[in-house]
Amino acid sequence: MAVSTIYSTQALNSTHFLTSSPSSSSKQVFFYRRQTNRRFNTIITCAAQQTVVIGLAADSGCGKSTFMRRLTSVFGGAAEPPKGGNPDSNTLISDMTTVICLDDYHSLDRTGRKEKGVTALDPRANDFDLMYEQVKALKSGIAVEKPIYNHVTGLLDAPELIQPPKILVIEGLHPMFDERVRELLDFSIYLDISNEVKFAWKIQRDMAERGHSLESIKASIEARKPDFDAFIDPQKQYADAVIEVLPTQLIPDDNEGKVLRVRLIMKEGVKYFSPVYLFDEGSTISWIPCGRKLTCSYPGIKFNYQPDSYFDNEVSVVEMDGQFDRLDELIYVESHLSNLSTKFYGEVTQQMLKHADFPGSNNGTGLFQTIVGLKIRDLYEQLIANKANAPTEAAKA
Amino acid sequence: MMSATASHGRAVMLPSPSGALQHQQPSIGSDMFRLRRKEPRGLRLIVAATAKYKGTKMREEKLSEMIVEKVKEATEVCEADVRSEECKVAWDEVEEVSQARADLRIKLKLLNQDPLESFCQENPETDECRIYED
Repeated sequence: MAVSTIYSTQALNSTHFLTSSPSSSSKQVFFYRRQTNRRFNTIITCAAQQTVVIGLAADSGCGKSTFMRRLTSVFGGAAEPPKGGNPDSNTLISDMTTVICLDDYHSLDRTGRKEKGVTALDPRANDFDLMYEQVKALKSGIAVEKPIYNHVTGLLDAPELIQPPKILVIEGLHPMFDERVRELLDFSIYLDISNEVKFAWKIQRDMAERGHSLESIKASIEARKPDFDAFIDPQKQYADAVIEVLPTQLIPDDNEGKVLRVRLIMKEGVKYFSPVYLFDEGSTISWIPCGRKLTCSYPGIKFNYQPDSYFDNEVSVVEMDGQFDRLDELIYVESHLSNLSTKFYGEVTQQMLKHADFPGSNNGTGLFQTIVGLKIRDLYEQLIANKANAPTEAAKA
Repeated sequence: MMSATASHGRAVMLPSPSGALQHQQPSIGSDMFRLRRKEPRGLRLIVAATAKYKGTKMREEKLSEMIVEKVKEATEVCEADVRSEECKVAWDEVEEVSQARADLRIKLKLLNQDPLESFCQENPETDECRIYED
């Protein structure tokens, strides 16, 4: 999307084409022509498309995660791998968004990591310089040739061309690790899965596989934990939103990980991001929607909302424990939450229903992922509106 | 647009004039929102939740085998020292391959997308693109 303003200036000698970036960070193209009949020349400046960059830290593979699907769905259209390219590409492209997997910036392939004795979690296995350069380029509207890390073969494949999208999502283990990359992010999210839930999910994921057993799954999690705690976990202090997934408190001794307690921790004071709240902003609320008006089945639903402090940041936390099992529970809950950035009543419910077969559709994970998606849409629209206004204001001045 | 009265939960289906929600029916019980999509007129190809192309089937099998192999390797390596770098790396490989296997399963089952789809449209004669038959 380009925004153009026309201003007049003094006569200049010949036809030139320059690029420069004065006060604003948008790329501006100046071209002018000498017109002897006129008293002054016209300069047309166009602010090139500014890509909005979102970072998502998650330990659950790349780009195929349900979070990404929900996010791209909010903007409309399905996200698909680039057509005609490497079938093992990790990239997803939809009309508005492109999702890049940060594993593509591994500097060491599987053999290389084995030789050096580093896991994929280790920063030494990743090329942060390249990550920074390419994210910066895409953000400024320049296409890049991005490497592909093939998770099947464990090799680095030939690069693929990535065009700058309207919204770029970088997903992986280290989106907020490098400070320079952090500065490029317009919004960042950290998906924080507690150990018990992680264990339960990995059991569900892997138990059908011949090679796996409870012991192997456990051993794998344990072995990765030191690197995870050292390199990945600290990123959550930088995130604008953290989705924390914990075991439920509604069922004593539940260890199946089916009923979940999910907390949406939202940083206060982030530009273009207004946290969701329940009933009265800034207060502390405990809410059980099930009762006379709404009948829920066991174990029910419980909400909490409160202001809090998280790693020295002021945050607001909305928490949901339990499960939805009917449409009217979902719409009831939606109607009581505020600042959802929906465009119409029932939009959250509609989005959840669109992906009713995805995991997490009946609990806080799906709910908060959907809400974060709407918040990102809101942030994007505000950012774009803001950039559209800026040149017109400069012209008026 | 849903009416405001819908929020006073009764255990019935909401009146939903909005087209997007018309074809959903909630079900009572722990089965979440069983979606019944309106079938489009004409033939609808039922795509099974298994691989469509031989290449994809081969990939699925290869990943499963790799998991067996790598779990075995990791168990052996870690016998010596469970906190060694080799042990960490070995289990990290297991995780990587397990995730790749799961991603493929999700793609095929949940999204009905075969990763070779686009490649096979262009190159239907290659061995990888033979339709897999059970």
